[in-house]
Amino acid sequence: MNKLLNRTLLYYTVFASIILLLSSPLFYFMMEKLYVDDVDEAIMLRKKEFLLKSSVTLQMADINVWNRFNRDTRILSDTISIKPKDKIIQEVFFDEMTPEWEPYRVLYTNVIIQQQRYVLMIRLNLVESQDLILTLTWLYCFVLFSLLIVIFFVTRFISNRLWRPFHGTLDKIRQFNIEQHTLPDFSMTPIVEFMQLNKGLSELIKNNLKSYQNQKEFTENAAHELQTPLAVFQSKLDMLLQEPSLNNKQATILQSLYEASSRLSRVNKNLLLLAKIENNQYTLWEQVDTGSLIKDVLPYFTEQALSRNLTIDTDISNAPVLDAAKPLAEIMINNLILNAITHNRINGSISIKAARNEITICNTSDQQQLNTESLFKRFGKTSRASHSSGLGLAIIKQICGLHNWKVSYHYKFNKHYFTVRF
Amino acid sequence: MKILVIEDEAELAHSISSYLQGENYVCEVAGTFKEAYDKIIMFHYDCILLDIMLPDGDGLRLLEELKKEKKQDGVIIISAKDSLEDKITGLTIGADDYLPKPFHLSELRARIYSVIRRKQFDNTNQIDINELHIDLLSKTVHVQSKLVALTKKEFDLLLFLIGNKNRVVSKSAVAEHLSGDMANMMDNFDFIYSHIKNLKRKLLESGCRDYIKTVYGTGYKWEA
Repeated sequence: MNKLLNRTLLYYTVFASIILLLSSPLFYFMMEKLYVDDVDEAIMLRKKEFLLKSSVTLQMADINVWNRFNRDTRILSDTISIKPKDKIIQEVFFDEMTPEWEPYRVLYTNVIIQQQRYVLMIRLNLVESQDLILTLTWLYCFVLFSLLIVIFFVTRFISNRLWRPFHGTLDKIRQFNIEQHTLPDFSMTPIVEFMQLNKGLSELIKNNLKSYQNQKEFTENAAHELQTPLAVFQSKLDMLLQEPSLNNKQATILQSLYEASSRLSRVNKNLLLLAKIENNQYTLWEQVDTGSLIKDVLPYFTEQALSRNLTIDTDISNAPVLDAAKPLAEIMINNLILNAITHNRINGSISIKAARNEITICNTSDQQQLNTESLFKRFGKTSRASHSSGLGLAIIKQICGLHNWKVSYHYKFNKHYFTVRF
Repeated sequence: MKILVIEDEAELAHSISSYLQGENYVCEVAGTFKEAYDKIIMFHYDCILLDIMLPDGDGLRLLEELKKEKKQDGVIIISAKDSLEDKITGLTIGADDYLPKPFHLSELRARIYSVIRRKQFDNTNQIDINELHIDLLSKTVHVQSKLVALTKKEFDLLLFLIGNKNRVVSKSAVAEHLSGDMANMMDNFDFIYSHIKNLKRKLLESGCRDYIKTVYGTGYKWEA
């Protein structure tokens, strides 16, 4: 993953380097051409000067003297005819002073001194010019490079400033929790794009909150609405049971109806409990000693455990004291123990272990490893063996979520472990 | 004993009143806030069953009215909204009990029995049925002045059955009564067999008559 700014700067650097690399030779050649043009102009000027001034007064006898004092403007005999005339060319001459072969711009042209034909050679050294051009090119590179670096940092600075509202929005969305019912308050920004982004997000979140709220209210209302017909149903069963003419067969049917009705009201109560946790109706938190909580509820389960001949080991001397909604902590512990009992096998065992910041309940079972993905989902039960409501673990998860605890499951040596970390 | 059932669900009100009727209970039904209000002001009841969600008013206001008139009627709130706040508010205003829907009629009757007993006998805390003598305070049972050693659950069970004298109570009702809040999660009610069996045995052994009848494995009945 790359930050947008880094990406921008990377592209920028790559393209700038390419431009720099391509432009420096170009710059070099341009400069050289300009200089050569300049030198050629100077040569033409000298030729003009010679023709106007010197050639008029020059005597044949003076030629040797002239040549002795003018190294770059010489009068040669017209025997050198191979050279192209009246055209400036590039040639290399050996310089005794340096001593090196050095490049020159040279012009050969025919002149007439005292009716005698001669060749005039005018040359100008290019060596100094090359040094100059090279220096200039380096200078150019240096300036461009410095400019690049400056622009690099300026871009970074500006970018950070420009994107600040965006990062603000991002932070707010990250902190947003649909459970908390609060619309994030996006700060005002004069940038149209960010304004639109914030507006779009606000709208989206508002709609989500609304449908989430509706869904929660629906669950709670539905569960509440079901309570009265359930009460009617159950009361009619109770009335039916009073009939003196009831026979064995009818009683058996009635018993099944009772069981169904119990299960129905259990599911409904659990749904209601979930809705209540979601609707934050448990606001009273207090210090809850999980150790004594476990001790208190265990007797209720001993009967259930006895009917399956289960042994229950407890190691809860280190059980933590938590800040929690007590009814919920109780329900969580109950559900965990009850699960360990109902999904156990005959003659099985249960162990309840408490450490400073976690409680682990482990049980034997005939069932293989459970599917962790659907385990904590509502009605995501993996076994159809029992009459369980399919909400027990969902409730545990919800309670853990509310308190910022973490519940996890693992399977080891044919035993199922449920751990709650505080 | 006069009992007023304030409940807008006619079918439920009907079931409740016919279940309670007899055994010196007389039931009246009020389906609306107004009807209930008139009855409360005019008559005295030993126990009022109050549904706090009425179509034309808040049932809790009836309770307030009752307390303002300094009436001594016992009140049991029955509510479809099993909420802690409602429960606390109701009990603070002066209700004697709170029973969330859905409930077993036998559970309701046991609660009414307990409320009326507390109101009526001015805390004598004694129940006498023929040879059976129950002390509620010390939670002891004597048969012809001989102590019967019952566990806490067996004692609860005995009271529950006596509270539903001559009524068949279902196994689920017994189980839910005995396991209290835990009942929401229980799915195995077999454990009540042994409780019933033990209670029966202990009473019989101490010379008590066999009052507890089993009805086709579906329910139990205290016949006296």
